[in-house]
Amino acid sequence: MPNYMLFLHVNPDQPRPSSPDEALAITKTYVAWTDRARAEGRLRAGHKLTSDAGKIMLSKGGRTSITDGPFAESKDVIGGFWMISAKDYDEACRVAESSPHLGYGGRIEVREIDEMYST
Amino acid sequence: MNGFASSDTGGTSAALVDDLFRREAGKISAWLARVLGPGRLDLIEDAVQDAFGAALEHWPFSGVPQRPSAWLAVAARNKALDRLRRDTRLDAFDENAASLLGFAEPEDTGRLDDTLALMFVACHPALDRDEQTMLTLKTVCGFGVKEIARAYLSSPEAVTQRLVRAKRKLKQLDLRFEIPEGPDLAARLPALTAAIYLLFNGGYTTGEGEALMSRELCIEALRLATLLTTHPATATGECHALAALISFHHARADARASPGGELILLAEQDRGRWDRDLLANGFAHLQQAMASDALTALHLEAGIASVHAAAPSFEATDWGTIAHYYGMLEELKPTPVVELNAAIACAHVEGPAAGLARLDALAGARRLAHYALYHAARGDFLEKLGRLDKAREDFAAALECPLNTAERAYLQRKLAACG
Repeated sequence: MPNYMLFLHVNPDQPRPSSPDEALAITKTYVAWTDRARAEGRLRAGHKLTSDAGKIMLSKGGRTSITDGPFAESKDVIGGFWMISAKDYDEACRVAESSPHLGYGGRIEVREIDEMYST
Repeated sequence: MNGFASSDTGGTSAALVDDLFRREAGKISAWLARVLGPGRLDLIEDAVQDAFGAALEHWPFSGVPQRPSAWLAVAARNKALDRLRRDTRLDAFDENAASLLGFAEPEDTGRLDDTLALMFVACHPALDRDEQTMLTLKTVCGFGVKEIARAYLSSPEAVTQRLVRAKRKLKQLDLRFEIPEGPDLAARLPALTAAIYLLFNGGYTTGEGEALMSRELCIEALRLATLLTTHPATATGECHALAALISFHHARADARASPGGELILLAEQDRGRWDRDLLANGFAHLQQAMASDALTALHLEAGIASVHAAAPSFEATDWGTIAHYYGMLEELKPTPVVELNAAIACAHVEGPAAGLARLDALAGARRLAHYALYHAARGDFLEKLGRLDKAREDFAAALECPLNTAERAYLQRKLAACG
C-alpha cells in the first residue's frame, strides 16, 4: 500500500488555546486519533517540527545562499507531519479528514510518496 | 475506514493523558526534589509545567510516546536544566553532583522514598495545617490550583498566595530531602496523617453546590495512606488505621449517591453496591493497626467504620459496639462532631429521647448552631418522638447551614415529611 505525507500547516493567526485545559482538550482529540491510526497500522510516523522559521537554501551563480525560512510573512507554517498508508489519494484524504486538524483551522497538504523504485 | 469517523474523540490515549499528567507530576516532582533539593520546589513545579506544555505541543503530531512517563521526565529534567542555566541569580548548580544523585536517569522516578520525603517536606511543621494540605495536594498529588481552590471553597488567587508563602517558608529552612529518623520521625509523622485525613474529609463531604463526594480527593488520600503503610519507616498502627478508615468510607462511594446525585443515607444504602475489595482492604489494614501497641483516635474511627462495614443491614448494626467506641473516642478527641456522633449512636442503643437529651446537653456547652448534622440529628430524634412541630424547626435550621446539593435535597424531603 502506498504511503502519503500529510503536511500539517497551522495558521499562525489562529487564536492559541486560551487555557491549559483547552490545550489539553485539543491534544486529547489529536492523540485519540494518532492512537487509533497507529493501532490500525496506518500511521507510519509523525513529528512536530520546531517553531523557528527554518532555512531556505538556493544556489545563485555557483554560490549557495542560506536564508531564514519564509515563514515570517507567511500565513502558514508546517507545524508537523504525519506519514500514513492508504490505498489511494481518496483514502488518504479521508484519513486526513478524520483527523482533528482541519477542525482546528489547520490546512493539510497530502502528497503521495513515490515508491516506484524503492527497494 | 469505518473506524475513522471524525466525531469519535474517545480512545485510550486521551483518557490516559488526563490521568498521566496528574500522576506523573508528583513522581517527577519528587525525583527532581531529591536531585535539586526541596528548596527549589518553585523551579521544579515550573519545569514540570513546561514539560506538560511540551507534551501538548508534540503529542498531537507524534502521538503519545511509547513510554510517556519517561518522555515527561526527560522533558522536565531538560526544562529544569534550562531554567537553572538561564537564571544566574540561583546558587551555583553543581551538575556533577546532580548526576551522581540520578539526574541523568529519568527512569528513576516513582521511588517510594522520594514520594515520602516530599510528603515530609510538604507537611513540614513550619507550615500550618492548611498550607501542609494544600502543598501536599499541589506537589505530591499534582492537583492544579483551580482544583485545590474547589476543594477548599476558596479562590485560585488565594490558594496561589498561600502556596507561594508556604514555599517561601520552606526555602528559608534549607531542608534536607529525606525521611526523618528516630524521635524526629515520630514527631513529624502525625502531620502527614493529619493532612491525609483532611484530604479525605474534604473529599468525603464537599461543601455547598459541589458533588456529593469529590472522589479524586478520596482516592488520593487512600493512595497516600497506603504509601505510608508500605514503607517500613512509616507503617505504624496509626497509618494502617488511617488506610482502613478511608477504605471503609470510600467503599461506600457508589452506594452513597443516587444516579441523580442525591445523598443516600447509610440507613438507606444498597449494601450490595459497597465495594467488597475495598472493604476487605479496610479489614486487612485494621487488623495490622490493632497489632500495634498504640491506640489512637484513628484506630477508633476505623473501628467504628468497620462495624458499619460488617453489618449485613442497617437494622442489624451493632450499635452497642459503636457507642462503646465513641465513648473511648470522646476521651481521646473530644470535639463537638465526635460528641454529636456519640449522641447519635446513643440514640440507636437507648432510643431517641436519650439521644435528644445528649444533644441538648451538648447545645449548652458547644457551638454547634451552624453545623447541619446537629440539627438534622435533632430533627430526626424529634420526628421519631412524634414532636413534628419541633422537628420541623430543626430541619429548617439545618437548611440554613452550609450544605451540598444532595444534603439540601435530603433535608428538604425530611422537612416536607414533617409538614
